[in-house]
Amino acid sequence: MTQFRPGREVMVAGVGLHPFGRFSSKDLAALALDAVLEALKDADVRWKDVPVAYFGHVYYQGMSVGETALAKLGLTGIPIINVENACSSGSTAFWQAYWGITTGVFDMALAFGAEKVPRGPVTVTADESPDRYIGADHMMAGYGLRMRRYMEDTGAPPAALAQVAVKSRQNAALNPYAHRKQTYTLEEVLNSRPIADPLTLYQCCPTSEGAAAAILCAGDALDRYGIDKSRCIKVAGAVLRSGGYNSRGSDHSAFSPYRTEPAALDAYEMSGLGPEDVDLVQVHDAATIGELQQLEALHLLPYGEAWVATQEGRTGLAGSIPTNTDGGLLAMGHPFGATGIRMIHETVTQLRGEAGPRQIADAKVGLAQCSGAGDVTTVHIFTR
Amino acid sequence: MPVSVDSNRLRLTNEDGTEGVLVGFRCRECGTHVFGAATFCQGCTSDQLEPVDLSQHGTLYSYTIVRVPPAGWPGQVPYTLGQVQLPEGPQVLAEVVDCPAEDLKIGINVELTLRQVRGEESGADRVVYKWRPAGTT
Repeated sequence: MTQFRPGREVMVAGVGLHPFGRFSSKDLAALALDAVLEALKDADVRWKDVPVAYFGHVYYQGMSVGETALAKLGLTGIPIINVENACSSGSTAFWQAYWGITTGVFDMALAFGAEKVPRGPVTVTADESPDRYIGADHMMAGYGLRMRRYMEDTGAPPAALAQVAVKSRQNAALNPYAHRKQTYTLEEVLNSRPIADPLTLYQCCPTSEGAAAAILCAGDALDRYGIDKSRCIKVAGAVLRSGGYNSRGSDHSAFSPYRTEPAALDAYEMSGLGPEDVDLVQVHDAATIGELQQLEALHLLPYGEAWVATQEGRTGLAGSIPTNTDGGLLAMGHPFGATGIRMIHETVTQLRGEAGPRQIADAKVGLAQCSGAGDVTTVHIFTR
Repeated sequence: MPVSVDSNRLRLTNEDGTEGVLVGFRCRECGTHVFGAATFCQGCTSDQLEPVDLSQHGTLYSYTIVRVPPAGWPGQVPYTLGQVQLPEGPQVLAEVVDCPAEDLKIGINVELTLRQVRGEESGADRVVYKWRPAGTT
């Protein structure tokens, strides 16, 4: 782990979320601003004290949208950096904010993300790419391929995959911010419209709109800003990994869950914690199969066992490894730029003991994993 | 005259676009094969790559039936997308054609087949590589 040399302790001092869903009367900047205002209020810091901001988003909504959103607060001349890293754009913005502080460059930072994802299947390549003729560039088709192979290799039945969606909807029913709050039965999930067999509609995350924000602060600067230490959550590990050599090569690497494993091992080493210490986890469940494979790649469950654990209820709110406690991408929806910070919002809320009916008892360590096509993975570990 | 959908991945070997080969590179240092364009080896980062023609046969590693196509898909719906393992190592994603649903299984042997797809407006037709069960006549 020689490339990591964290310095100062970094805390999350505040988090904010705009509900996820469809908001035709609000533009991207307006969604983002609401989340930022909530995070500033939550941390009880003044905008004019924030020295840097990182903004995650993917779809083109005009240039430098981060500046447009923050202009409403009054442009203070600080560096504002717009970040695009596919579905992990928000968590990449957070990662940059962490490293900006731990290295001593900044004492505080705003990380925020927002998105208005168009309806319909999500593709990765540009419109003029030859892939449109080949038919392979289709995010949920990629998950369909992974799911079929996982079922073949592990013996997981369709009902085990569908149970992931049932569980996510149960969690989301307790979350006023979720895009999809109604619960479904196993049969309803299995019998919903097929999208890319064996994936059915309710096993795919909705494309959504929404925004999320976090205020990070150096541990040694909390007093100077008058921040309430009792509500601060420590960032114990912050790792980003992009696709690498030997990431199984060929043209399906964009759909591979394997990038998560080295990122997780780095994050465990950096934090001095192991998978056995994690009390709750948010993972990238763009489709049901994603949750199972990420839990295994994070070493939270042995390979081929996540589907069994799901059927036994071990990933539920009352289980041994509560997963996607706010409903995850499957029920929160997936506004790309916001998702990674939404996961951090939920983790921080849980570790503060402020998650209400979703609260995991005595939660001390939380992990948030967010993937992006390309491929990218971020793993963040938080401690109370 | 039809053109290859992507000359970095498919080289046509006759004028009417009915024959062609998948192309890639082999690393002279570690032997890793790459499908499509490459400047450096994906196994060891060496730049000692030699162009090679890849196998016309492979096995079906996984498949999905796409019911809701991506924007711009010019083919029929639903269509079967196959993830095919080549003997040299790379996997190649493409449509699986001429395969009845009851024959579609992980592990079946498949072979390359080329199909012409109408191009955009006045553009040339594209020749697209696809898979079909081995021995299809």
